[in-house]
Amino acid sequence: MIRRTACALGLFAAAAGPLQAQDSTSMAGMQGMQMGAAASMPIPMPAGMMILPALAGLLPPVAPFLPGIGVDRSMLAATTPTTIVRLRNGDTLDLTATLVSRNIRGKAFVMYGFNGQIPGPLIRVAQHATITVRFHNHIDLPSSVHWHGLRLDNRDDGVPGLTQHEVPPGGDYTYTVRFPDAGIYWYHPHVREDIEQAMGLYGSMLVDSPDSDYYSPANSEQSLMLGDLMINADTLIPFGREAPDFALMGRVGNIPLVNGEPDWSLTVKRGQVVRFFFTDVASSRTWNVSFPGVAMKVVASDQSRFEREESVASVVLAPAERYVIEARFDRPGRFPLVNAIQAINHYKGEFEAVVDTLGWVTVDSSPATPDYAASFTHLRANAAVSADIARYRQYFSRPPDKQLTLTVAVTALPLFTVQFMSIDTAYFHPVEWVDGMPDMNWLSTASQVRWIIRDDATGKENDAIDWQVKRGDVIKLRIYNDPKSFHPMQHPIHLHGQRMLVVARDGVPTANLVWKDTVLIPVGSTVDLLIDASNPGDWMLHCHIAEHLGSGMMTTMHVR
Amino acid sequence: MIGALAAAVLALASRDPEGPYRIVLLPGARAPGAHGEARLVFAASPFGVAVTADGRHRYNVRISAANLPAPATLGPYHALVAWEVSPDLTEWHRLGTVSGDTATVGETSMNKFLLVITAEATAGSTTHTGPIVLHGTSPSGWLQTFLTHPLFRGISQ
Ligand SMILES: [Cu+2]
Repeated sequence: MIRRTACALGLFAAAAGPLQAQDSTSMAGMQGMQMGAAASMPIPMPAGMMILPALAGLLPPVAPFLPGIGVDRSMLAATTPTTIVRLRNGDTLDLTATLVSRNIRGKAFVMYGFNGQIPGPLIRVAQHATITVRFHNHIDLPSSVHWHGLRLDNRDDGVPGLTQHEVPPGGDYTYTVRFPDAGIYWYHPHVREDIEQAMGLYGSMLVDSPDSDYYSPANSEQSLMLGDLMINADTLIPFGREAPDFALMGRVGNIPLVNGEPDWSLTVKRGQVVRFFFTDVASSRTWNVSFPGVAMKVVASDQSRFEREESVASVVLAPAERYVIEARFDRPGRFPLVNAIQAINHYKGEFEAVVDTLGWVTVDSSPATPDYAASFTHLRANAAVSADIARYRQYFSRPPDKQLTLTVAVTALPLFTVQFMSIDTAYFHPVEWVDGMPDMNWLSTASQVRWIIRDDATGKENDAIDWQVKRGDVIKLRIYNDPKSFHPMQHPIHLHGQRMLVVARDGVPTANLVWKDTVLIPVGSTVDLLIDASNPGDWMLHCHIAEHLGSGMMTTMHVR
Repeated sequence: MIGALAAAVLALASRDPEGPYRIVLLPGARAPGAHGEARLVFAASPFGVAVTADGRHRYNVRISAANLPAPATLGPYHALVAWEVSPDLTEWHRLGTVSGDTATVGETSMNKFLLVITAEATAGSTTHTGPIVLHGTSPSGWLQTFLTHPLFRGISQ
């Protein structure tokens, strides 16, 4: 077993090669990327994995980009702790994206923050509230804000090219944000997510139900946004300026982050029940997180509670998914929050257990009051959720209205990459938990890789699919993730502005339903979705792996 | 180089077109007419993807087989039992009994495994003793040492 902690930076020092510390005053650090074939790859490699000699001199065919080129880092404010902003119906929030100085393990990096924070302010509102958010773009890229999972008005969805123009550097945009459903949501830009989101532009929205019994009682609540960062010794790994790099499987960072921190910690009292709102804000990484030895139950996901609470040993989250988890810390001591996965070592042809420690919960010996042991042990059935879903059951088994296939096309990748990948796809994990071949992945950019959503009926792909839906219709959508493509990979598919049920996977009906906006589709799997197309407008359907989206993996559903 | 390229193409073409969930079952010496396949279907999970806390995928094993011999024709046996077996054959975990029709026999969570169906004295046998009727390899068995792959040896070998 490989047991890693986020402090494994030293492992990568040897590969530091051409990249210098992020330079705040010149392009020197960036130009290091363009050094010739003699230079070793600057990207961090998993422990024990070599960079293939045939690839060592290659560079992705895009110019390198990092936030704040030419900016004096010493002039930037350091990030401040995330604030909880409680807003009432009719309130206004100013949300400003800026360059910030972010300290990770003693190294300062130029990143982005909302209101100087990573994550940005946690917006806490009552269900059915409407707020105004004045967004101010003070970063060095055009931007926007998408209110992920909210069934809000289409004009406020934050998607440039579809519902608004990009907000240029120095520009402003005012959003009206309404919250029809209780639960946990998040906001992030919908412009170059591979850069802007990865560099810190994300924040939570916690929507409180008027029903005080909506969740079981808990002693405290925590929003945990799980992300990652790719660092090599003392520098961020640049992004592709013209197009995303890491286009094959997305940028999987080597430093896991909880709420933007590599060392998350929490102190609780013995017996305390904590309600965790987990959100995956990583570009590409699917997590399998747990507190070993601590009892957990899953209560809710993207847009609703489950029909029934379930005890769980771990929490699987794909990019953009949310799960509400309650955990009871019944013994004093220190308990790690771990991400435990089985990596594939393609060189050795073996699985390798990898455990990343994301943080620690320290449990005091003093008892929590009140003691919610009894209510925690009880797994509730949420009759209101089942009743809401009941009127959709008549549609569950009908034939799909639309069928989509997920695949990929590549051109002009390095020959060695093509050869290796062709061999390598003899077996792919249905879910790739970690990047086993970062050297090849880095070299693939959106100019060579085109991720595809294909309409089975018309053969049309991505933007060309002109999908018209009548408002109020219930749509059955079947999506198949084709394992025969050059590089099959799981895709977390996100639908904007509506809600949907995953009614079956691979023909097996779902036993415990929940309203979702993002669904993980493993390689070779088929999911049947039932979309409640109640919200008029032009809504994106796309893969939430930032580099897949940046490589074309999106289409639009027009609800009229 | 041409040999290596051809090997790459062959490897791609020989990939199971149904991806990571299908196991072809081959007959054992005592049951030459038997054939079948198994499908790995994600076990029920609130997360859609079913995974153990240490990250191993959890699948229900659904077997469909034909021309299975009656166990008694092979010796003092009364049941056919499916096992998940570690690739080095040291660990045998009973999955469940197999009859002629498609049936989910149990849940597996090994990274790589052999799926073996044997004839056994009773349906409840917890150790394997009888002859092998069908056997197959999990799709993850395709994951092999890259450096011994034909790409590096040429296809003539
Ligand atoms: Cu994708």
